[in-house]
Amino acid sequence: MSTDYGHTAKSGASLDHHDSHPHGHAPSYLHDGYGWRSWLFTVDHKRIGIMYLVMILAFFLVGGVLAGLVRFNLVSPTGALVDNDTYNKLFTAHGVVMLFFVLIPSIPGVMGNFFVPIMIGAKDMAFPKLNLASWYVWMAGSGFAVWAILAGGIDTGWTLYPPYSSRSSHSNVVPGAMGVFVAGFSSIMTGLNIIITVHRMRAPGMTWGRLPLFIWATYATSLIQVLATPVLAIAVFLLMIETATGWTGNPVGIFDPAIGGDPILFQHLFWFYSHPAVYIMILPGMGVISEILTCFSRKNIFGYQAIAWSSVGIAVVGFIVWAHHMFVAGISYYAALLFSLLSMLVAVPSAIKVFNWTSTLYRGSITFQAPMVFALGFMVLFTIGGVTGLFLATLGTDIHLHDTYFVVAHFHFVMVGGMVLAFMAALHFWWPKMTGVMYSDFWSRTAAITIIIGYILTFMPQFYLGYHGMPRRYPNYPPEFRVFNVLSTAGYTVQLAGFLMSASYLLVSLFNGKKAGPNPWGATGLEWAIPSPPITHNFDKTPVVVAAPYEYSLNLTQTGEKADVR
Amino acid sequence: MILQTTIFPEQATEMAWHIDLLFWFITIVTTAVSLGIYAAVFGFCVVYRRKEGEAVQTPRIVGSHRLELLWTIAPLAVFLVMFAWGAWVYNMAMHAPDDVPEVYVVGKQWMWKVQYPGGQRVILGANSADYAKDIGGEAQFEGVMVLPVGKPVKVIVTSEDVIHDFGIPAFRSKIDAVPGRYVTTWYKPTKTGEYHIFCDQYCGTNHSLMVGKVRVVEQAEYEAWLEGTYKTGPGKNSVDGSLAHQGRQLFMKLNCIQCHNGEAPRAPLLEDVHKSLRPFKGGTTAFADENYLRESIRKPRAKVREGWDPIMPAYGTTGDNALSEDDLVKVIAYIKSLRKGETPNLTQNWVPPIGSDTGPAAEDAKTPAGPKSAAEEKK
Repeated sequence: MSTDYGHTAKSGASLDHHDSHPHGHAPSYLHDGYGWRSWLFTVDHKRIGIMYLVMILAFFLVGGVLAGLVRFNLVSPTGALVDNDTYNKLFTAHGVVMLFFVLIPSIPGVMGNFFVPIMIGAKDMAFPKLNLASWYVWMAGSGFAVWAILAGGIDTGWTLYPPYSSRSSHSNVVPGAMGVFVAGFSSIMTGLNIIITVHRMRAPGMTWGRLPLFIWATYATSLIQVLATPVLAIAVFLLMIETATGWTGNPVGIFDPAIGGDPILFQHLFWFYSHPAVYIMILPGMGVISEILTCFSRKNIFGYQAIAWSSVGIAVVGFIVWAHHMFVAGISYYAALLFSLLSMLVAVPSAIKVFNWTSTLYRGSITFQAPMVFALGFMVLFTIGGVTGLFLATLGTDIHLHDTYFVVAHFHFVMVGGMVLAFMAALHFWWPKMTGVMYSDFWSRTAAITIIIGYILTFMPQFYLGYHGMPRRYPNYPPEFRVFNVLSTAGYTVQLAGFLMSASYLLVSLFNGKKAGPNPWGATGLEWAIPSPPITHNFDKTPVVVAAPYEYSLNLTQTGEKADVR
Repeated sequence: MILQTTIFPEQATEMAWHIDLLFWFITIVTTAVSLGIYAAVFGFCVVYRRKEGEAVQTPRIVGSHRLELLWTIAPLAVFLVMFAWGAWVYNMAMHAPDDVPEVYVVGKQWMWKVQYPGGQRVILGANSADYAKDIGGEAQFEGVMVLPVGKPVKVIVTSEDVIHDFGIPAFRSKIDAVPGRYVTTWYKPTKTGEYHIFCDQYCGTNHSLMVGKVRVVEQAEYEAWLEGTYKTGPGKNSVDGSLAHQGRQLFMKLNCIQCHNGEAPRAPLLEDVHKSLRPFKGGTTAFADENYLRESIRKPRAKVREGWDPIMPAYGTTGDNALSEDDLVKVIAYIKSLRKGETPNLTQNWVPPIGSDTGPAAEDAKTPAGPKSAAEEKK
């Protein structure tokens, strides 16, 4: 059996290690063992990263199809495809899958696992077995979620607000909540691993001031994962208790006021995690953008320290803004004032980053390969996502915009326009490193532009809908909103075309892509100082870091070699 | 269809004007800044693109503390303006003026029950067949909430089951209906017409059908509507069918009067309670608002008045002492209306309302909501 797998993996000339490496070198991580055991029992951070990547892409496909069903149902004001219950289950499944099984683990799980050790000059994570365990725990969590969806679905929305979820819904809330509960532990394990790896395993000369900004961003993300996720676990655990004891006819009242609970308590606990979780999703993406903008403009990053500390600032202040989700839920007037003010503060570090990125382009030598196109798309869309957050942090306007499509558009601009584009940028930037092959330049740029255009067409109309009052989670809506819903659905199809295009040329590149070589972009990071794909232990001998990252103007890599672009 | 599309949403209250002004302020500021950023990004991309055959040499620019300080402080200043303006508008939206009529709104899956001070009651809700008709131009809803133009009205919202949200986009108003507590907002409609009411907090299968219309009319039309509208109480005129009057009947029937009386009191007199400062055992105090009154009935032991024993039974939503949200609203309306010397005599049985054509008082009291309204609720 294992040999069969081996042949499959070897097909495609460029993946053959005999071609990629001179004789006498260790084989690349892709060729260090072939059977299924060599993958499922691996402790190699790169293979674990690839295992995350495969599953996340699968879930992204599922979540994307669910989004399509939601959008196509909305072309008619009375629901074009499905009944109300099914619609409710569709958007819930879309939210749960995309958030907990795509966005949260996407960059930490894939790029964090694969590149954090390499970029700091380590041979593996601090705890390789914990790393593998995190993948299995995450798979167990996704198993519960898939079970919940296949057994009839959950109809509560991803926010799981009680008392609806605990006392009123007859759908599979407990397995769904269990999935979120279990997957959370995986997130904690990954976060812990990255924090300790960054603290303990940096190569000689890799000081904190020489860490690539992707590492800073991932480090800040890990802090949130470790500190916030337990609170989500508490919230969904209490929710499961109230729901499950309800089956016995003798419910324990925690959130339902009819049995002595408080529904607002859940919202506090839930958003104490779920707002920082937004930064779990976006911060690593910001790190990726810093890597790519510098590389493709051949410039030092503008304001290294400001960008590094703004990541930490976002992580810290992000913990104390959660109640801005509850301005109209009857919280105290003074609490609302405080949380609005704090939400304004958390917007500042993001603004700093955008200004610094823009300045990085100044007097650069800019080229526009696919990673750069995605990164520029990120800057355009994330800016819209960021500034529309101000409407929601401002108390007066939030009254009107809360729980409308304005909110939907806002967080999709941040989550998709920000994080998915950053993930695509990262995938295209590091694809040659991960696989050893290069994809089609023309098709990748075309796909990037298609996705960005489709994206704008999908979510811009939703700002209009929200300002005009269309509530979220409505399969039935007044007919005057129809035009903009149809436009939004049209945008979805354009995005779908773009993503299918990406899937095609990336798959094709695996079989007949050109060999990438160790440093196809002429980048300065440690990951580009080793062969593509890397060997199992990353470095033949421990690298010595002599330079700050992004010394493109000096044409100097972090190991002190020439970072030639051509 | 396209003709139904408007650029600006309808403004039907003063608050709508305030919120729109703030909305467009933020829109203009953020659009200007975003376009500035885009212009810089696009400009740099064009000017500094790598030209054919050009040497790859860039200057080593690592940052500028002065610039960074500028774009830390400048956005912060702008954000603080938005915060302050937003807080001012929020303050207006959340705090109703004193002594305005109070309308109670109780949400339940998937309808709204609106109770006017005079006892008038309308039920809002739709089904998808209505929306199908709506596309043909013929909307049919269960009921319409009617409000007079130019008069402020306070809205006290709660829920019987799960969290809902009573939102009226044309009023730029939205407030969660949280079970177990009252949340208040207020409107002062400025423009006659019919506007959407949406449930904005996801509440299950027919969340998107928990909708209705609010109709803003001239004062005279409003009074005529009140006169002709069904009231839950046995009486037909707006005095004896009022919420407070119905609450008085419950006050007698539920034996509240047995303790809360002036002759042989075993509990505090409830005259002029509303908005008064209440001292409690343990030295704490609180002002008596709707939520305090609600808690004192649902969970009497949560706060015990100084000088009295906690002997009151709890009136929950189920069990022997069950008191529905609709009836609780009536009792609270009564307590709020109770002025000095108005507590009924202990021996006085409850009086059938003027104009009542029902039979013996006690029989009618067994079904406090009235058979007709029970049938209404089943819809």
